[in-house]
Amino acid sequence: MAGGSGFRFARCALGMRSLLASLRGLRIVAAALAARIPGAAWSMPLPVGLSRVRWMGVMIAVLVALLPPARLAPAQDAASGEAIYRAWCLECHGAEGRGDGPAATHMLPRPRDFVGARYQIRTTASGELPTDDDLMRVMRDGLPGTAMPGWPNLSDQEKRDVVAYIKSFSPFFERETPEVLQRSADPGGGADRALAGREVYGTLECARCHGEQGRGDGRSAPTLEDWRGFPVRAADLSEPWLFNGGMGADAIHTRFLTGVDGTPMPSNQDALEAGVVTEEDLWDLAHYVAGLGPAEAPELEEVVRVERREQLPDGPADEAWDDLPRFYFPLVGQIVEPPRQFSPTVDGVWVQGVHDGAELALRVEWHDPSNSPDPGWQEWQDKIAGALYSDESAIPVEPLPDLLALQFPMTFSDGRGRPYFLMGEGRNPVYLWLWHSRRGAVEGRATGLGTAEVVDSGAGLTASAEWEAGRWRVVFRRPLAAADDGMLSFSEGAPIPIAFFAWDGSSGETGTRGSISAWYFIGLQPPPSNAVFMAPLVAFLVTGGLGMFAVRRAQKSYRG
Amino acid sequence: MSRESSYLRHPFWQALAVLVGSYLLFKFGIGYLLPAIGVHSAPVPSSVLLQYMLTVVVALLLYVSTSEDRWTRFKEPLRQVLVDPDKRVLRVALLVALPLLVGFLTYGRVRADVGAPPSLRSIHPAPPNQITFRGEPISLTGLENPLREHGSFEEHLAAGSTVYVQNCMPCHGDRLDGEGPATHALNPVPANFTDNGTISQLTESYVFWRIAKGGPGLPVEGAPWNSAMPAWEDLLTADEIWAVTLFIYERSGSTPRTWEESNEGEGH
Repeated sequence: MAGGSGFRFARCALGMRSLLASLRGLRIVAAALAARIPGAAWSMPLPVGLSRVRWMGVMIAVLVALLPPARLAPAQDAASGEAIYRAWCLECHGAEGRGDGPAATHMLPRPRDFVGARYQIRTTASGELPTDDDLMRVMRDGLPGTAMPGWPNLSDQEKRDVVAYIKSFSPFFERETPEVLQRSADPGGGADRALAGREVYGTLECARCHGEQGRGDGRSAPTLEDWRGFPVRAADLSEPWLFNGGMGADAIHTRFLTGVDGTPMPSNQDALEAGVVTEEDLWDLAHYVAGLGPAEAPELEEVVRVERREQLPDGPADEAWDDLPRFYFPLVGQIVEPPRQFSPTVDGVWVQGVHDGAELALRVEWHDPSNSPDPGWQEWQDKIAGALYSDESAIPVEPLPDLLALQFPMTFSDGRGRPYFLMGEGRNPVYLWLWHSRRGAVEGRATGLGTAEVVDSGAGLTASAEWEAGRWRVVFRRPLAAADDGMLSFSEGAPIPIAFFAWDGSSGETGTRGSISAWYFIGLQPPPSNAVFMAPLVAFLVTGGLGMFAVRRAQKSYRG
Repeated sequence: MSRESSYLRHPFWQALAVLVGSYLLFKFGIGYLLPAIGVHSAPVPSSVLLQYMLTVVVALLLYVSTSEDRWTRFKEPLRQVLVDPDKRVLRVALLVALPLLVGFLTYGRVRADVGAPPSLRSIHPAPPNQITFRGEPISLTGLENPLREHGSFEEHLAAGSTVYVQNCMPCHGDRLDGEGPATHALNPVPANFTDNGTISQLTESYVFWRIAKGGPGLPVEGAPWNSAMPAWEDLLTADEIWAVTLFIYERSGSTPRTWEESNEGEGH
C-alpha cells in the first residue's frame, strides 16, 4: 500500500469530509486543518522565549500526538477489499460471502455468513449489525476457539477495505448505522461479589446450557443449534481462553448485554429492563463467570513431573491429587487421515503423576459435556455427523463410548527418537493404555491410525474413572517394571515420551476421528536424598569464607 | 555539585549502570522491544547472553583501568564497603546475603528435575535422488513443477488454494506463517512459509518430496526427526501436491530455488 504523498493527501481530505459528519471527529478535524495550512500556524503569535525552530518542534509533537495516521485515513475502498478478500478470506467465507467456502464444511462454528449478516461478537444491541470497529477488532485479533485467525499481515487500511467489502454482501449495512451499546461501569469484583454472581447464575438459569460448573454440560446443551441449524456447543466457561469474544469480566459483560446473535445465547437486556436482574447483578455474574476459569490460558510445559510419595492416591477423587502439580496439554483434531475431525470436543488434558518406587499412578482430566454412550445425546451426535462428517465417510448411528489412549514408545530409548505421533508406523510401533468409558483400561499396541490391538503383557494395568459435571477424571495404575523385555518399563530420572488421543462418543468420534496431541514427556522423580543439599551448603560456606578473607585482608592493608 | 550528579560522574556507578543497562537490553530489549516496533527478533539464548555480558565486563574493566585516577576512584566504593567502620552493617549484610544467593543458585542447579531432552534437528535434510510415489519411481534431481509449463496458472493456483485450506491450513496457517488453529498443539512447530529460511531455500521437487513422504519419510541419517508432517502420498494426487506447492510459493511471495542455484550452492 505504498501511496504517494498526493494520494495520501487526497485520502486525508476525503477522510476529513466523512469525519465532519460526525461530531466526535471535530477535534481531529481542527488539528488536521492546522496541518494542511501550516501558514496559519506561522501567523500565530509566538510564545515568548521559544525560537521558531523549537516552536515548530512543539507543533509537530502536538500534531503527531493528535493525529495517529490511522485516524487520518478512514476512507474505505471496497474494490481493494475485494482483491484481499479473494486472496485470504474466500476459501472459508465463500465467493459469495455465504460462509460456505471449500474449508467451511470442516468447521464448527461455521465461518460467518456475510449475506445473513448475523454477527456474534459485537458491541451493539442484540439484533443489530456490528460497528466497523467490531469487525476491525475481529480481523485484528481473530476469534479464539474458532478457525478465524488475526490478520497482522494486513495493514489497517487493508483491513478497513475488507470491512467495506464484506459489508457490501448485505443490504442491511446501507440501511442501518449501528451504535455501540452503552453499558454501566464495572463496580469491581471480589469474593462476595462473585458469590452474589453465583446466585444470578441461578436466576438467569445459565446452568441449563452451561452446566452447574460451567463446563457446557447443561440439560439443554445437546439440543443447541445456530440460526442455520448447525449444532452449537454451549461454551465451557471454565476455559475462558477459548471465548470467541475474549476473556475477562468486561468482555463477558459485553456478551451478556449484546447476546451472541445467531446462537441460543440471548441478550440479557430484556431481563434487565423487566427488572429480573439489576445492572450490578450482571457485573457480579460477569465476575463470577470470569472466576470459573484461570485468568490466563494454561501454559504448556513439556514434562509431567511425576513425584515420588510413600502412598499412591486411592481413586480419581482422592484429595491427595490436589497437592500434586497439574500439567496441561492442548489437543487438536486428527486432521490427517480420513475420516477426519477438525472440530473435536476435547481440546486439552490435564495430567498429574505420582509413583512410590514400585507403581505409577497417572490421573488424566479432560472436559467432555457428555458421559457417553448417552441416548440423551443421540440427537446431538446425528447433528454433528451431519454437519462435519458427511463428506468423508459413513455416519456412525449407534451411541458410542468415550475413549482415551495414552501413547508411549514400545521400549525406552533415550527419549529423543519417537514413533510417529499418530499411533506409530510399521517399523516403529507405539505401546498404548486404552481406556473405554464402560469397560475400563487395557494395554495395546499400534503401528498406525486405526491399527490399535489389545495386547495383555500381564503388567497389571488398571484404571478407575469418574465423570462429574462435564469432566472425566481417569486414574491409571501400572507397576513400573514391565512383565517382559518387549514392553516399556518406567524408570526414574530419564524423560519418557507420552502422547494423548481422546474421543467423545457423543460427537460421533471413533477410529481416526478424535483429538490428538504431539509427543510430550513424563519424568519420574528419583528417591529423595540429602545429597542434594550438600552442594549448596559447600557453595555457601566457600563463598562466605572467601568474603571474610577478602574483608580481613582489605582491613589489614588499609589500616596497617 | 549535587549528590546525584556526583553519582553519575563516578566511574564505579557508571560501570554498574552500564552493566545493568546492557543486561536489561540483551535480556528484554532484543527479544521483546524490537518486535514492538515491527522488527523481527527472538529472545537471546542464555549462553549467548553470558558471552555478551562477559564482553561488557571486560570492556568496562579496560575503561576504568585506563587512567590511574579513574581506577582509584572506581575502587573507592569497594574499599569503603570492605573497610570503613560506618559501613559495618552493609558489610555484614553482604557477607550473609551473597553466600546465601550462591547457595540458592547452586540448589536450583543440582535439584533433581527431569527435563525434556534437547530436540536437535537440521532444518533441510538432504533429499534422495529418487522416490517411489504411489508405486511409480520419480526422479527428483532436476525435476521442475510440471504445472508451471501446462494449463492455466490461475486454475492451478485456485486448485492449490483449495487443497491448502482443506489439508495444510490447520497447521501451517491461513497466512502461511505456521500459525494455524492446530499449531499450538504441535511440537516441533510447523514450517513458516513466509520465512525466507524455509521454502525459498528449496527447489519445488524438494517440497514435493516433503509433502509426499512427510515426517515418516525423513531419512534415517540425522534422526531423530519427530516431525508431525503427515505423508500425503496416500491422500493427495501428484497434481494436487504440485498445485499446492505452486500455491504456497505464490501466496507467501517466495520463489523456488532453481536447479542452477542448487548446483552452485551445493547446500542442500
